[in-house]
Amino acid sequence: MSRVGVFVCHCGENIARNVKVQEVVESSRDIPGTVVTADYPYLCSAPGQQMVIDAIEEHDLDRVVVAACSPQLHEPTFRAAAAQAGLNPHLCEMANIREHCSWVHRDAEQASAKAYQTVVAAVERVKRSRPLDPIEVPVTKRALVIGAGVAGIRSALDMANAGHSVVLVERQPSIGGNMSRLSETFPTLDCSQCILTPLMVQVSRHPNIELLTYSEIEEVSGYVGNFKVRIRRKPSFVVAEDCTACGDCAEVCPQPSGNEFDMALSSRKAIYIPFPQAVPSVYTLDPDRCLNSKLDSPTGFRVLACVKCDEVCKPQCIDFDMQPEFIEREVGVIVAATGFDMKLGQQAAECGYGKHVDVMDGLEFERMLSASGPTEGEVRRPSDGKTPKDVVFIQCVGSRNPEHGVSYCSRICCMYTAKHALLLRHKVPESRAYIFYMDIRAGGKGYEEFVHRAMEEERVMYIRGRPSQIIEEEGKLKVLGVDTLSGRTVEIDADMVVLAAAMEPADHGEIAGKLRIAADTDGFFKEAHPKLRPVETLTAGIFLAGTAQAPKDIPDTVSQASAAASKGMEMLSKDFLERDPSTAHVDESACAGCFECLAVCPYGAIERKQLLDAQGEVFREVAAPNPAMCEGCGLCTVTCRGGYIDLEGYTDEQVFAQLGALGALREVIER
Amino acid sequence: MTEANVTAAKSEAGAVPENWKPHIVALVCNWCSYAGADMAGTTRREYPANVRMMRFPCTGRMSPLMILRAFEQGADGVLVSGCHPGDCHYVQGNLVARRRFTIFRSLMDFIGVDLKRLHFAWVSAAEGHKWAKVVSEVTTSVQEAGPLPSFEHPEGWGGIDLPEMTGSGPQELDEQRLDAIRANLRKAASEVLTTERAGVVIGYGSGSLPDQTHPVLITKTAECEKLEWGQGCRNNLGAYVGSALEKHERVAVVAKTCDLGAISGLIREGQLRRDQLLVIGVQCPGVRDGSGLATKCLSCSGDPHPICDLVVTVEGVQESCEDPSAAALDTPDARDEQIAYLESLPHEERWQYWQRQFGRCLRCYACRAACPLCYCSTCITDKHRPQWVPTSIDHPGNSTWNIIRAVHLAGRCTGCDECARVCPADIRLDLINRKLSLEVERQYGKIGLDPEEKSALVDFRMEDSEEFIL
Repeated sequence: MSRVGVFVCHCGENIARNVKVQEVVESSRDIPGTVVTADYPYLCSAPGQQMVIDAIEEHDLDRVVVAACSPQLHEPTFRAAAAQAGLNPHLCEMANIREHCSWVHRDAEQASAKAYQTVVAAVERVKRSRPLDPIEVPVTKRALVIGAGVAGIRSALDMANAGHSVVLVERQPSIGGNMSRLSETFPTLDCSQCILTPLMVQVSRHPNIELLTYSEIEEVSGYVGNFKVRIRRKPSFVVAEDCTACGDCAEVCPQPSGNEFDMALSSRKAIYIPFPQAVPSVYTLDPDRCLNSKLDSPTGFRVLACVKCDEVCKPQCIDFDMQPEFIEREVGVIVAATGFDMKLGQQAAECGYGKHVDVMDGLEFERMLSASGPTEGEVRRPSDGKTPKDVVFIQCVGSRNPEHGVSYCSRICCMYTAKHALLLRHKVPESRAYIFYMDIRAGGKGYEEFVHRAMEEERVMYIRGRPSQIIEEEGKLKVLGVDTLSGRTVEIDADMVVLAAAMEPADHGEIAGKLRIAADTDGFFKEAHPKLRPVETLTAGIFLAGTAQAPKDIPDTVSQASAAASKGMEMLSKDFLERDPSTAHVDESACAGCFECLAVCPYGAIERKQLLDAQGEVFREVAAPNPAMCEGCGLCTVTCRGGYIDLEGYTDEQVFAQLGALGALREVIER
Repeated sequence: MTEANVTAAKSEAGAVPENWKPHIVALVCNWCSYAGADMAGTTRREYPANVRMMRFPCTGRMSPLMILRAFEQGADGVLVSGCHPGDCHYVQGNLVARRRFTIFRSLMDFIGVDLKRLHFAWVSAAEGHKWAKVVSEVTTSVQEAGPLPSFEHPEGWGGIDLPEMTGSGPQELDEQRLDAIRANLRKAASEVLTTERAGVVIGYGSGSLPDQTHPVLITKTAECEKLEWGQGCRNNLGAYVGSALEKHERVAVVAKTCDLGAISGLIREGQLRRDQLLVIGVQCPGVRDGSGLATKCLSCSGDPHPICDLVVTVEGVQESCEDPSAAALDTPDARDEQIAYLESLPHEERWQYWQRQFGRCLRCYACRAACPLCYCSTCITDKHRPQWVPTSIDHPGNSTWNIIRAVHLAGRCTGCDECARVCPADIRLDLINRKLSLEVERQYGKIGLDPEEKSALVDFRMEDSEEFIL
């Protein structure tokens, strides 16, 4: 028989005002198994907790019920007190008689009846609780960072600098991500490349970082502390170790292609380096553009029509037979920093994007402004190469528009548009900049001042409203709209139009699926809690950084990257991780092996276990939840028709007893 | 019985006491609704004190058994509350639960439980106001519904006459054509054994009475002559494959169209492997039930289904190689009219109808034994810690058993009707099964024959309907 102690808190007057504490204490004495009952004005205070500890020792209690506030608030407090008295913390149960009772029911009779019944249910439940110990999971002391934009670079460097090994995977031939494309950064106008390239070099030289570029994540299995990752290294057809980046190959290559790094505003060859500061500084052969046919061959080339690059390559590093390489790594934690893409949807098309070459998106204009860009930093109209005079910038193209785009605000457009206008005015002093905006969101440090600088010092014309039409007329783009502040119609003969298109996540469910992390309706990775756990995911050991989680600017991206790194290091610095022991257990002797539990488990935590007979032959396959992966949701328990799966902490017996306690006492209500 | 009569009967049965207050059990998710109720407390939003809360990690942990247990224990109403879709702490727990409860709720409605007693809500941790509102609404609703009615049906109740079932049934086969099929079947079986495509053929052998058969396991070619075919071939032989596989590596099974769903289900649920199985589909004349065709045959063509390996018809034996993913069970059913009629009645009458049916249950579990998909080594009814399903032959226990049997088959039952055929108390289990199949099909698409498909109730879609959720 259990020896339960019931402790009722007054919470000053918070509980005692509406709940007749004495009555609850006295009635609780008669609950079978209860050996001691007591009340105290503030149980959570030091003397209150001491009272519970003393009672456990004095009355040799093996179970404790604390009737007080919400367990969300003080369950850890009282479980710690129980542990201090030598009781397993899971043998301490709370009955919520404040938030769910005294604070919401004014009638003292009814509130007291409910409080009593809540206590009875808690006693019945705790009598069937089992002592549970945290599950210990060993930790592989290595981190995986997916994506090597500024977020991934920062995370990787933070962890590597602290002495942890890091595998950094990037799908492009060079690291740097979208930030390496930017010209200058708001609000300080320091050059993006100048602040990023030193970090890129640090990554490539860091002894603790294994950099895998031109590589993609194939498969992720395992669980926190013990992930297994399979990475596919795409063939670059150039032996990276030997390449000196002399560029002789590209010079002779006859096959041009749009350079993705310059948003196709410049061209590259089929064999190329994305940009001069690329890390690693090696050439890559684009098999889709190369003249050599790869017919019938999924990898490598079958028919060699052109070997010019191979002929001129002095270190002999062209390898037409290169195959994809599969690399397997074991890691303890993962940081997902897959970044963003520009979303050029219906609204961009309505603004003439894709129809008029002089309508470009923000990232294209960014390349044009960049000293390393296709025009070497000069602003020129793509159609005729002339210097534009009137440039119209349109904000919120696709953003904040659930009907024709996305409902969220892309957060950086107000600022980068101000920067674009300002840089245009610097580079072309006789130009005029017009910005169509919905409202200005300049919430960062120094941001408001920056926008004012654009408005006041650079005389950028801010027009509140959306253009209604953009018509091509005599080589110009006629932008028609209404200034909604003055109510006047606006007509601008623009030379160029720049669209601040919405940001969208670069990952479209592929990485999220492999990592088994949730994405929100817009595809951004979902954090465990928007305020209290903003860089964690609900899958233990996987963290988020940068624009893969939500649109954000560089300072926020870098902060989040460091936060993700520090969360990762919190795990990497331990030899063992402790996990909540509230996990699923299978009765192997009864499991019929239908594996519907496996189909329903959100974490892939259920494994197939083969049962062997005396001869060592497999005679049955049964479900076996991995306690290190199980998060304790209980979905499998209900899926199992025979009821062979149970969830520690919420066992069938506990639930059954609670339901009995709640039902059998209906006379309490009628009293 | 008209609605006025029902109301009269209700007031005769015992007027609701004046100060009667409903007793409501709320099953809530720890991460959203429990915290939402905390928020209601923190912001001092008053609501009725009739609700008793139980904390769960997720709506995914809440089982229909728990709701039934709450009712059994005297709850007048149950509220299930969890996180809004997309907010689940465990990614998808609430989405799977949403399907489960959609189907469970439709079953409860079908057996006549007043839906004013059974409520579902999404309440987030921030929605203290919503929690207070939901509890108030639910309390009012259960108050209107009154005390949970007795599980016992009133004496002298006249019962309900269901509309007669009609249907043309499969193509009629005269004795001559049946002989041809029989000969072809024997030939096919003998070939299967000689070519060692299977070690045993499970088929029908003639019984002691005309028009009766029993399952036979044939391992020798000479015995193939024992194989029978006709309107007496009632059993679903799929239920025998599992035990035959203990002795043989590969088993051939003779199957009617209506047996194939179960075979497919057994493959899907890992009880059989497709490569251990050779399915011989035979053109079926329909099976006899008493003087006429069995209900399930009324709307069946009798043609063998493309999921079979071998197809036996009057003309001969064919190898079949069609795509099983294209196959689905036929939709129309002779029972649908009866279901529609029952649904058109007031729920009080449905409750009486089904309580009378369940009241007859002997708990012999013949339905369980006959069902090819009831393969658990220990059934939930036989579990004692805890005893979810009361074992004594009384009303609440009988209801719980019959309800949970149906819930466990929802989305899996493929309408072979073996349970109803073997029931000595003539409980219309087929109607309940059919009702749930219709509901699953209406909500989540057809219950296909493709063993590769995930079954509907372990799956989910973000956009699944949830019109009943508060």
